Amino acid sequence: MKTLSLKRLSVLALPLAALSGLGTAAHAQEWTPTRSIEFIAPANPGGGWDTLVRTVSRVLQEENLAEQNFAAINVPGGGGAVAWAQVARDSGNPHKLFATSPPIILVPLAGASRYDHSDFTPVARLITDYSIVLVAADSEYQSINDLFDALKENPRLSIGGGSAPGSMDHIAIAGVAAAAGMDAASVNYVPFSGGGDAMTNLMGGHIEAVVTGAGEAVGQLGEGSQLRALGVSSPERLGGGLEDVPTYQEQGVDYTFDIWRGVMGAPDMPEEAVAYYEELFAEMLETDGWERARDQLGWIDAYQNSEEFGAFLDEQQEQFSGVLRELGLIAQ
Amino acid sequence: MDALNNLMYGFGIALEPINIAYVFAGVFAGTIIGMLPGLGPISALALMIPITFAMEPSSGLILMAGVYYGAIFGGSTSSILLNAPGVAGTVATSFDGYPMAKKGMAGKALAIAAYASFIGGTVSVVFLMLVAPLLSKVAVSFGPPEYFALMVLGLTAVVSLSDKSLVKGLIAAVVGIMISIVGIDLQTGTERYTFGSIQLLDGIDFLVVALGIFALAEVFYMLLRGGGGKEAPRNAIGSLKLSRSEVKEIAGPISRSSVLGFFTGVLPGAGATIGSFLGYSMEKRLAKDGDTFGQGNIKGVAAPESANNAACTGSFVPLLTLGVPGSGTTAVLLGALLVMGVNPGPMMLEQRPDVFWGVIASMYIGNIFLLVLNLPLIPLIAKILDMPKPLLLSLILIFCMIGVYGMSFSVFDLLLLLGFGLLGLGMRLFGFPAAPLILALILGNIMEESMRRALQISGGDWSIFIDKPISLALLVLAVLSLGLPLLKKRRKRAV
Repeated sequence: MKTLSLKRLSVLALPLAALSGLGTAAHAQEWTPTRSIEFIAPANPGGGWDTLVRTVSRVLQEENLAEQNFAAINVPGGGGAVAWAQVARDSGNPHKLFATSPPIILVPLAGASRYDHSDFTPVARLITDYSIVLVAADSEYQSINDLFDALKENPRLSIGGGSAPGSMDHIAIAGVAAAAGMDAASVNYVPFSGGGDAMTNLMGGHIEAVVTGAGEAVGQLGEGSQLRALGVSSPERLGGGLEDVPTYQEQGVDYTFDIWRGVMGAPDMPEEAVAYYEELFAEMLETDGWERARDQLGWIDAYQNSEEFGAFLDEQQEQFSGVLRELGLIAQ
Repeated sequence: MDALNNLMYGFGIALEPINIAYVFAGVFAGTIIGMLPGLGPISALALMIPITFAMEPSSGLILMAGVYYGAIFGGSTSSILLNAPGVAGTVATSFDGYPMAKKGMAGKALAIAAYASFIGGTVSVVFLMLVAPLLSKVAVSFGPPEYFALMVLGLTAVVSLSDKSLVKGLIAAVVGIMISIVGIDLQTGTERYTFGSIQLLDGIDFLVVALGIFALAEVFYMLLRGGGGKEAPRNAIGSLKLSRSEVKEIAGPISRSSVLGFFTGVLPGAGATIGSFLGYSMEKRLAKDGDTFGQGNIKGVAAPESANNAACTGSFVPLLTLGVPGSGTTAVLLGALLVMGVNPGPMMLEQRPDVFWGVIASMYIGNIFLLVLNLPLIPLIAKILDMPKPLLLSLILIFCMIGVYGMSFSVFDLLLLLGFGLLGLGMRLFGFPAAPLILALILGNIMEESMRRALQISGGDWSIFIDKPISLALLVLAVLSLGLPLLKKRRKRAV
């Protein structure tokens, strides 16, 4: 709370300082937004990006952290490509941010976007989710290895996911299959129009297993559930309803996969603006309002500042292009 | 009597003054959102998530559900009056609703839509209450082969929707399927018909096509005919009253379509739009005067309107009992519930009976509100038709453009709208029916994806479509519904 009141004071102080004709040099670094910030979800309402954008905007407002309003805007299309093209044209604009996650790397790798993560300014990584593999509650498979053994014998067994081939869910299952000694390209990955769609088909017994986000699956697990989780891609066991789900590593498969989410800005955003947002989001993660929202949505904090996030994105790009090459899905 | 006790418990929650206020606010906002093309329930609900965050979960869901079924209720208004469907679920309503309005029976069409919506909504709440937990099994029994078969059955309606020339109807349907293919192919990630444009990567929004081909084409058509001074005066809104024989006539279609609509809604992935088309084409085939469908038959308004409201309620079955959303709108609802700390799913009935039964009871109340709210409004809203034609046409034009722009904030979509307006005009001038195009556009995508998904699961073996009993039954029905009318026609010709 202390930082909050300090911030407020500085907001009051700034115009006063200007009025009294004091030098502005000391304040040049302390950039603050001068108008409301366009916070773009590059998708329709309802999805992961949209939830992040709306939750962040709400918490910032409720906790009175930001000097200016964060206006949530949906720019759907092309799995994000339409929004990215729009933001890329707005070079240097410090009032334009967007929510981001692995598709910013995967979509360009698939050749469906001219712009990739290196065209934008990384601001901060905020949270992460993990990938999870589910089977029907009465399935014979008890561990992730059981499933892979069955797959080795019968490669036609279908594994459903909520996104197109070469996107998040497919990469996640291909990666763990490769780590378990299988040929990643042999997995019969069946794309559905969303994690929910895939899980419904699993309940109906139309497919053998589903790979989806742990946050999306958590509501489907637990007492009375028709589904059961075989493994999760986190380095350590997760809490909140998923504490009984073993990690892949526990089962002898050395593989982790992060579904991270963060914030990026327009290309060449001024350094002072980046510093302002970095600090703002770091502060937000400490608030009670954020903690409540985060726990309800099953997110896990995974803050990185601009520099760390940028380096992390480069690493991810290398890792993903490796898997995609193995799957034969990379665009030439 | 268990259900009755539970319902009483639900009413205890829904009748709390604050919740009554929420039901009213929800259905009122929904009606208005539904009337305005483009502003659909999805975006309205997404905007409401921050408001409902702090609410009691039962109140939050009562409010949001009200917006959803209110929008489907209100969506028929602009379909009937302006030929501009307010939401996707009310496209089929315009097939006969708009011709009725042109004949000076706007009041009657709106009244029928209101009654049919009310009955469809109420009947389906009864179903939801009695059989929701059992139905969760039905919802998951539909996999890719079953969906494919269902879509094939739906597509056979092309035959009944092509009034004069079957060949022209089929051509329109093929164009509809081609439009549905535009965008990134989910199965392979390949771009199809995008011509390198990123705006086309996600495909073409259904409402852009519907508004262009129906409303905009109608504006163009009237302009071509010289401002339409010759047309009969449209100021006759007509009476709202239904004669006894009319009530008798629509009683059957409403009750059949309510049931059909509800079960369509239960299937995740089908929903109000497909439900309304299935209801419309079923009644057209059953009716003795089926050939007057499309020219202002009251059954053609009653059937889709009861089906779409029933489907809307039906879509709460997978949402509440399985925790999986069946449509974009219920996906947003699911997100809102999670934010409020409620986990919909098999355990919800035990863990949060207040939310489950509260919302069901609120739907009874909401439907009554909608009827009481909408009936007195009809004469007022229908006055829009009294406007001088130049004003009315400009109004439709503005309506369509705001609607499309408001969906995506994309100028590109406005150009698409214009393009589809011209396509619709051309189709009208050369006698191509628009309904098969729209139907194929809705069904084409799911049909193709389900077929390829099924084949991927079976390893390319086509027998998956006839090995599964539900799929087989639906395909047989499809063959019958295609074959019988053709046989009938041939016999007629022979006689």
